[in-house]
Amino acid sequence: MAADTVDAAHDHRPSIWDWKRWLYSTNHKDIGTMYIVFAIIAGVIGGAMSGVIRWELAEPGIQILHGLPWVDQTDPDAAKHAYNVLVTMHGLIMIFFMVMPAMIGGFGNWFVPLMIGAPDMAFPRMNNISFWLLPASFGLALISMFVPGNGTYPGFGGGWTLYPPLSTSDLHHGGASMDLLILSLHIAGASSILGAINFITTIFNMRAPGMTLHRMPLFVWSILVTVFLLLLALPVLAGALTMLLTDRNFGTQFFNPAGGGDPVMYQHLFWFFGHPEVYILILPGFGMISQIVSTFSRKPVFGYLGMAYAMVSIGFIGFIVWAHHMYTVGMGFDLEAYFIAATMIIAVPTGIKIFSWIATMWGGSMTFAVPMQWALGFIFLFTIGGVTGVVLANSGIDTAMHDTYYVVAHFHYVLSMGAVFTIFAGFYYWIPKMSGYRYNSFLGTLHFWVTFIGVNLIFFPQHFLGLQGMPRRHVDYAEGLAYWNHISTLGYWIAAVGVGIFMLVLIDLFAVKRRAGANPWGEGATTLEWTLSSPPPFHQFAELPVIKPDAHH
Amino acid sequence: MSARADPRRMAFTAFLCVAIVAGMTGLAFAAPPLYRAFCKLTGFGGTTQVATAAPSRVLERTIEVRFDTNVDSRLPIRFEPVARTMTLRLGETGLAYFRVANPTDKPVTAVAVFNVAPYKTGAFFQKLSCFCFNDMVIPAGAEVELPVVFFVDPALADDPDTEEVTQITLAYTYYRSLEEAGDALAAAQ
Repeated sequence: MAADTVDAAHDHRPSIWDWKRWLYSTNHKDIGTMYIVFAIIAGVIGGAMSGVIRWELAEPGIQILHGLPWVDQTDPDAAKHAYNVLVTMHGLIMIFFMVMPAMIGGFGNWFVPLMIGAPDMAFPRMNNISFWLLPASFGLALISMFVPGNGTYPGFGGGWTLYPPLSTSDLHHGGASMDLLILSLHIAGASSILGAINFITTIFNMRAPGMTLHRMPLFVWSILVTVFLLLLALPVLAGALTMLLTDRNFGTQFFNPAGGGDPVMYQHLFWFFGHPEVYILILPGFGMISQIVSTFSRKPVFGYLGMAYAMVSIGFIGFIVWAHHMYTVGMGFDLEAYFIAATMIIAVPTGIKIFSWIATMWGGSMTFAVPMQWALGFIFLFTIGGVTGVVLANSGIDTAMHDTYYVVAHFHYVLSMGAVFTIFAGFYYWIPKMSGYRYNSFLGTLHFWVTFIGVNLIFFPQHFLGLQGMPRRHVDYAEGLAYWNHISTLGYWIAAVGVGIFMLVLIDLFAVKRRAGANPWGEGATTLEWTLSSPPPFHQFAELPVIKPDAHH
Repeated sequence: MSARADPRRMAFTAFLCVAIVAGMTGLAFAAPPLYRAFCKLTGFGGTTQVATAAPSRVLERTIEVRFDTNVDSRLPIRFEPVARTMTLRLGETGLAYFRVANPTDKPVTAVAVFNVAPYKTGAFFQKLSCFCFNDMVIPAGAEVELPVVFFVDPALADDPDTEEVTQITLAYTYYRSLEEAGDALAAAQ
């Protein structure tokens, strides 16, 4: 069972109270842990922002935002701007500081080396800087909320997409806030690019003997595809951000029509990054779901190669569909027809994945442990989000639905329920391995059901609101939209209770200390990390594991 | 393929990754000129064309050309077409006048952005000369009429994508030149 039974006394694991262990860390498991803790903190902050948003939208009119301590109470425009800042920062924080650190930095760092039988990442010190750039970046983003943005109003309120002219014009956001945000995203991008280089080098050069590319676990495949997307997409974002920065400060005219520029070109550059980005946010989740469904069905995943290459083709097609985010710019009939067709084609590899998960369960010996509950919830809810995605792919419908709550409902079904559910599924699957302790399954199940009901109550009514024409990014709405907004806000409070239960799970986990053993999931868990002790030794695979051809994935 | 990987191979992989990053960054910055060249070449987004000679053939079929004028709020001029619409035959050279007035006591410099709608007709809308090609200085208190000489390429009738078009809108938006806009902002502060 345990290929690597290093005596704990010879493990050289420093105390968790030793600050040098974390600040100077070159250990992929410690860095992964820091990423996960960072993601939880950022997720709570970004989630609290969405709470203020939902609270504000509980009833028509402006209820609470003029009560924020830094908002001028006598000026209604200050409250409106504060709302726009919250919406902008909620989006950026959840994408760059919650989902990406949790999936790629957290689970990726922890389990890619373990699953391919490597002792650590290829460049451990670069791994350290990848992580420590993130708190710096997050700090800049948070500071940007409190320095002048639009006139004297603090923060940038132009939406997470940072479109010019809102992001460049001195009439709109002339203050330092937007500059801080640009620098913050530059640093977050540098962190992710360094991480991506590290993962690619690790996966291509450090696999254990016998671990061919076609024998790698699907989670490793998903991370490999994701980091390639990062490598190709993030430099384009960096370029667009640099152009914003020089347009703002150094007199270039990339996006200013008065100087011969074109603001629509920013949208092309941004979405050339932005669309692969949404696959970056979900692909590692696909990988985790594959491991979990296989484990709890006690069967190898159905159609392994199809699953791997479905991810590769999703990644490839993800680069040639970007303009479906901007049908309303007026790009002409032929281009719209192309982008509609290309976008719909993504449903094919995605369908392969959904059906292969179902086929993996078919005839399997299924158990409904907590990670499997989250995985099944993910498959169900992600499919709903996928269906509305196919609806929105049509430019004719999208012209009416563009920037309404229908779009908000769509991308929260695939991200807030898709990506976040996979993160929780991965967390419940691997936390016994990472911590060495089992959690309270009742609390985990309760967390799942409360969150499931809460998030559906938040976002399903938003489809109706969108179809009724409620625009996104507005602090107020017509009275006729009050009913479903009220329901949606009720859903938020339920989901917030879910977050509270998650905190209880964490406290219980470390307080009660139930020993997990090397493999708490039984014979279905076949990947290499389950051959190690829980938690794994500080330095693993002193003796190399050898992967035989018949070992399934 | 071993966990004790060859450091030179690892450095090579990392080097390739850095090259990809550098290449994509380069492509991002190559995008603005490429985008502009693409629009000019294909008439994408209703980009109008510049012609040096009138076409050799004129069709019987007529098309209505409408004129749309917009002025940025920071540019203190009035700008409107003398006639809102004109009808001319495909291939026939048209002459339209625009009235520009500067009611202030200082000269202003204006720059134009222009295109046509429907966008797919951009490749067929040919300008022989236009006041919009260069920055325009309007003296204090002056009112002038400015000409644009253009024709609609008869090939519009042959292209199955555009043959149903009966109306084209030529739109202008005027902005204040950057130097003056900067000076005005500095004065306001």
